[in-house]
Amino acid sequence: MIFDSYETFKAANFTAKVCILGSGPAGITIARKLGAAGISVVVLEAGSREFSDDSQDFYRGSTVGDPYFDLDITRLRFMGGSSNHWAGWCRVLDKQDFEPKAWAPDTGWPISRADIDPFLPEVHDILDLPDFRPDVPISDDIRWVQLIKSPAVRFGEKFADELDKSRNIAVVLNTYATELAGDGRRVTGAKLWSNGQDAGVFSAEYFIPCTGGLENSRLLLWSNQRSNGGVVPNAAALGRYWMEHPTFEGGNAILTDYSEFEVDATNEAFFSPSLAAMERLQIMNFGIRLIETPYAGIKSVIADLACTAPDAAEWLAYQLSQNLRCAAQLYVTWEQAPQASNQIELSKTDVDHAGVPRIELHWKKSALERRTLLEGLRLFGTTLIQKDLGRVRMADWIVNGQDYPTNEETAGHHHMGGTRMGTDVTRSVVDANCKVHGMDNLYVGGSSVFCTSGECNPTTTITALACRLGDHLSKIITV
Amino acid sequence: MSFFVKKISRRAIVQALIALPALSLLRRRVDTEPPSADPNEIVEVNGWILKRSDLA
Repeated sequence: MIFDSYETFKAANFTAKVCILGSGPAGITIARKLGAAGISVVVLEAGSREFSDDSQDFYRGSTVGDPYFDLDITRLRFMGGSSNHWAGWCRVLDKQDFEPKAWAPDTGWPISRADIDPFLPEVHDILDLPDFRPDVPISDDIRWVQLIKSPAVRFGEKFADELDKSRNIAVVLNTYATELAGDGRRVTGAKLWSNGQDAGVFSAEYFIPCTGGLENSRLLLWSNQRSNGGVVPNAAALGRYWMEHPTFEGGNAILTDYSEFEVDATNEAFFSPSLAAMERLQIMNFGIRLIETPYAGIKSVIADLACTAPDAAEWLAYQLSQNLRCAAQLYVTWEQAPQASNQIELSKTDVDHAGVPRIELHWKKSALERRTLLEGLRLFGTTLIQKDLGRVRMADWIVNGQDYPTNEETAGHHHMGGTRMGTDVTRSVVDANCKVHGMDNLYVGGSSVFCTSGECNPTTTITALACRLGDHLSKIITV
Repeated sequence: MSFFVKKISRRAIVQALIALPALSLLRRRVDTEPPSADPNEIVEVNGWILKRSDLA
């Protein structure tokens, strides 16, 4: 059932055991799992079925530190959440992404990749994905990895009919919780805001915020402040260890034979380091995206190379005259080392229309990440030479240690951390089952529970974790 | 007259003395002769990651 307001939902007298906040990939996936198990669920969606400026306005905020996107454009607040502007890139975090790394503090998850593997067949159905192919080592240091460009499932569109027909799931649009109330053991209720006004308090046996990698922290920080620690009793890590995937153009490559690389339908290929290389160089994970360079771009590469290595430039010019594809742009995305100082705070001066403080995001890239970018390109360039596959030119700003460019994309719109998973209550917010430490009935869904970010787009892992959480709850909640 | 002077002419001695400073030049040249460079060595020039042989 889908309701357009809390008023119409109330009139239907639907009783829900579980209240999910947010109808993005995590929220809808968990709701479908619980609904299929016969458990009654209400999904509160702050927006409506379509984008609106008024709804997006609730997402405005500010950033302190490195430049970042406006917080009201980097996510979407309507049915389906940020899946509505998702590009569709899919890959699950690697096995090595879950493991602690001695050279990077606060890495390692309390679960392993094997804990989410059983849910991947479901994930493939949800995201309309073919099977992933195994990585292919190019050298001891670099492996070809597959990112699948999926049809980019818009969760609100794909599952609207199913949700509307469901007898166990009620989606309530234009309605959200401005705050949760709690007594330090349980969430006792949610204060609702619907269609621009206070809508009273809603109660359920379980609450699961799935409002995104920024908003989950905001909701819990505000709720905890209002209830004097009654919602997140162990709040030392709440809002902290926030992560993105910084993304910059790292340079160019010339290739002896483009067909040596397995490219996808868009002529792109992806490469990542081996764990041994990361360990040897003490760097984070990264992904190098190789994109065929358009003709004008090749000319400038040749001109540059001619000054340094004339013979190689001559070879490249000859290849170009044969109309061969022989040059590529290199985009580098990397894993941010978890840092407590990268955090979501509540603004002390700015509130939204419902009176909830807006987000003040503190975000800065570290020296370790800068080294990851440089050493990553060196690893890739060295591999191309050793395997006689081509040559790499690194961008000047990287070689010269200059500031990050301000005219590039900057990051992936991937919001991770803030309510990270862990066993140490001083460094994490939820346990291995996504339950908030110390609380009996409060769980968190979505990428805010990520401990580390790996190098790949998060939606596939978000969906897998949501399947796992839905499965877990369906076993402990009695129908 | 010593044995040394009897066997070597005065002219030869003078020539040898004149040539002595040049020996150090020769020695320096030998010392700084670069080792034969590995053509497969990886070098970074102007941001390019290249084999040394690419620079030929």
